[in-house]
Amino acid sequence: MIEVSDIVKSYMIDGQALHAVNHASFTVRKGEIVSIIGHSGSGKTTLLSLIGGLTRPDSGSVLCDGTDIWRLDDNSRSHFRNRNMSFIYQFASLIPTLTALENILLPTAFGDFSGDVRAYAEALIERVGLKEKIRAYPSHLSGGQQRRIAIARAFINRPSVVLADEPTGDLDEETEQDIIRLFQEMNRELETTFIIVTHTREIAAQAARQLRMSNGILTDAA
Amino acid sequence: MTIASRLHGLFPAALPIINKKMRKIRIFGLALKNLRRKLIRTFVLLLLVAVVTGTLLSATIFIIGMKNALRIGTYRLGADVLVVPEKHESQAKAALLSGEPTSFYMDRDVYDAIEHVEGVKKASVQLFIKPTSFTCCYNVETFLVAFDPATDFTVTPWLQKKLVKPLADDEVIAGSSLPVLTDDIIPFFGVPFTVAGTMEPTGMKFFDQSVFMTMEAAYGMAEKSQARAIQPLELEKGKISAVLVQVAEGFTPERVAIRIEHAIEGVKAIASDEVTSTVRRQLAGLLRGILIISVILWILALLMTGFAFYMIVNERQRELGLLRAMGATKAHVFRLIITEAVILSFAGGIAGILAGGGLLSVSQAAVIHSLRLPYLLPSLPVLAELISGALLFAVVTGLLASLLPAVFASSMEPYDAIRKGE
Ligand SMILES: Nc1ncnc2c1ncn2[C@@H]1O[C@H](COP(=O)(O)OP(=O)(O)O)[C@@H](O)[C@H]1O
Ligand SMILES: [Mg+2]
Repeated sequence: MIEVSDIVKSYMIDGQALHAVNHASFTVRKGEIVSIIGHSGSGKTTLLSLIGGLTRPDSGSVLCDGTDIWRLDDNSRSHFRNRNMSFIYQFASLIPTLTALENILLPTAFGDFSGDVRAYAEALIERVGLKEKIRAYPSHLSGGQQRRIAIARAFINRPSVVLADEPTGDLDEETEQDIIRLFQEMNRELETTFIIVTHTREIAAQAARQLRMSNGILTDAA
Repeated sequence: MTIASRLHGLFPAALPIINKKMRKIRIFGLALKNLRRKLIRTFVLLLLVAVVTGTLLSATIFIIGMKNALRIGTYRLGADVLVVPEKHESQAKAALLSGEPTSFYMDRDVYDAIEHVEGVKKASVQLFIKPTSFTCCYNVETFLVAFDPATDFTVTPWLQKKLVKPLADDEVIAGSSLPVLTDDIIPFFGVPFTVAGTMEPTGMKFFDQSVFMTMEAAYGMAEKSQARAIQPLELEKGKISAVLVQVAEGFTPERVAIRIEHAIEGVKAIASDEVTSTVRRQLAGLLRGILIISVILWILALLMTGFAFYMIVNERQRELGLLRAMGATKAHVFRLIITEAVILSFAGGIAGILAGGGLLSVSQAAVIHSLRLPYLLPSLPVLAELISGALLFAVVTGLLASLLPAVFASSMEPYDAIRKGE
C-alpha cells in the first residue's frame, strides 16, 4: 500500500518557483493498478521519483507498506528500494556491458538475496518470452525486447510496488499491448502494485483507477 | 499451458537454499566490464600508470644500485689512500671501480718515501698486471694483482680460509668470481700456479675477478716468461704499481693524500672518497633529473587519470542513477568507481614493474660501461620491498585520481543523475 500525503516538490527556475508537484495526495491499495495521465511537463516523472525515493520532497510524506521512506537515511532508503520497489523507464535502461541475464540479476548485487536468484532470473526471462536471448547483449536486442528485459529485471526483487514511467513510450501498439498484458498478469499472480505513468488514454483506461496530473496538481480522472 | 500454471512453478512459496555456485553479479565484475567498454581509453590510462610506475621503480633501483656500488668501492677496498703514478690516475680509478684490468709501473722508492709521511699508519705495495688474452684459459676477464703478504692489509682479510702456510711463489689466491677451486693449476705467461685459496665475494669486480700472488712470484713469473711465453711480461724487478695506505687516527684521507703528493714527485694520491666523488656528483645530478621527471610524470598521470575518471562518471551519470534506483547505496557507487580505478592502476603497476625490470636488465651493461661503475642490484628483500612499494604507489595513484570523481558520482541525487544523463 502506498500513501502519498500532501507532497510538494518545486524547482527554482530563473528566480521563480516552479511547482513540479503541488500538494499531491493519494492512496494506492496493495495489488492495485493505478495510471497517471498528463501532458508532458505536468510533473508525472517528478511524482514517481518522489514516491520511489529518488528525489527529496520539499514537504509531505510517502508511506510504502507503512514505512515513511523520506524519514529513512539514504542507506536505508536504498535498501528499501532494493527490497520493495522497482522502476521501469521509457528509455533504454539496460547496462550495455551486461548480457540480458546479467542485467536482470543486477539488482541482486546491491542486497542480500537468498535463494537461487539465477534460476529465478532465468524463469523471468522465459516469462517475458526471451529465453533464447539470455546471453544477448542489449545492442543485439530490439527496443521492445530491451524493454521486456527491463521488466523482467523489475521483478527480480519481487517488489511490492512497480513504478513505471511511460513504459511503452516509444514502442509500437502491439508491443505496447503485450507489455500492458504482462503487467496485468504479474499483478494478478503476485499482487504487485503498479503505478503506471502514461500520456496515452488507451493505456490509462486499462488501469483499475486513473489519476490525472496537470501543472503539478493531481486529480481523479474519473 | 496457462500463464497462471506457469507462474505457480515460477514463484514457489519456499525458495531453494543458496546455491554456492550461483553466479551473482558483483561490483568487481561490474567494474571490470566497465573498463572493457572503452578499451582504448582504458589502455591509454593503463599505459600511463605503467610508465610512471616503471620509471620510478627503475630509477629507484638504479640509484640504490649505484649507491651500493659506491659504498663498496670505498669501504671494502680497505685502503684510505691509493698512491699511483700521476699519469695513470684515471686507469687506477677505473681498475678500482669497475675492475678493468690495467698495468702501470713506478719505482719502489715511492713506497719507502710514503712510509715516512706523517699520518701514514700502514702502507703496502701492489702490482697490477694485465694478462694477455691468450694466457688465460677462462672466459672471465682476469686481473693479476701482486701484493706483499708481510705488509698487506687489503687482500688477506678477504681470504675464505686462513692459509695454513705462507703463500709460496708458485701459488695464487683466486677471486670469488673465478671458476677455479683450491689446488687447481692455472698458467699465467706460461708459468703454472697452484690455487692455494679463494676469496670471499666482495661485490667489487677488482677483487672478485682478480688472481692474487706475492710480489716475488710476480717478478719470478716475469723472468720465466721471457723464455716460456709467446708474449712475455715486461716487468723490471723492484717496480710497483701502487701503494695502499691506511691513515693514522686523527688524520683524514684527504689530508694525508695532500701530504704524500707534496712529499713525492710524480705520484697521484687518491683519497678513498675522491675515487667516488666524481661519480657521486654525476649521480646527484642524475638523481635530481630523474626525481623531477618522475614528479612531473606523476602529476601528469594523476591529472589525466582524474580527468578520465571524471569523464567516465559524467558519461555514465544516468547509468549510475539507475543503479541507485535499483537499490545501490552511495557506498556501492563509490566502490564501483574506485574499484575500476584500482583494477586499472594495479594492472598498470604490474605492467610498469615488468617493463621497468626489463629496461633495467637491458641497460645494466651500458650503465656499467659508461659510468665505469659496478652495478649492484639491491638485495632480494629490498627488491621485494621496492616492487611492492611500486605497486602500492600505482594503486594509490589510481585511488587519488578517482577519489573526487567517485565522491561526485556517489553524492548525486538519483533522480538528478538519471535526468542529467539524458
Ligand atoms: N531537476 C529539475 N530541475 C528543474 N526543473 C525540473 C527538474 N525536474 C523537473 N523539472 C520541471 O518540472 C516539471 C515537471 O517535470 P516532469 O516531472 O519531468 O514532467 P513529466 O514527467 O510529466 O513530463 C517540468 O516543467 C520540468 O521542466
Ligand atoms: Mg516524464
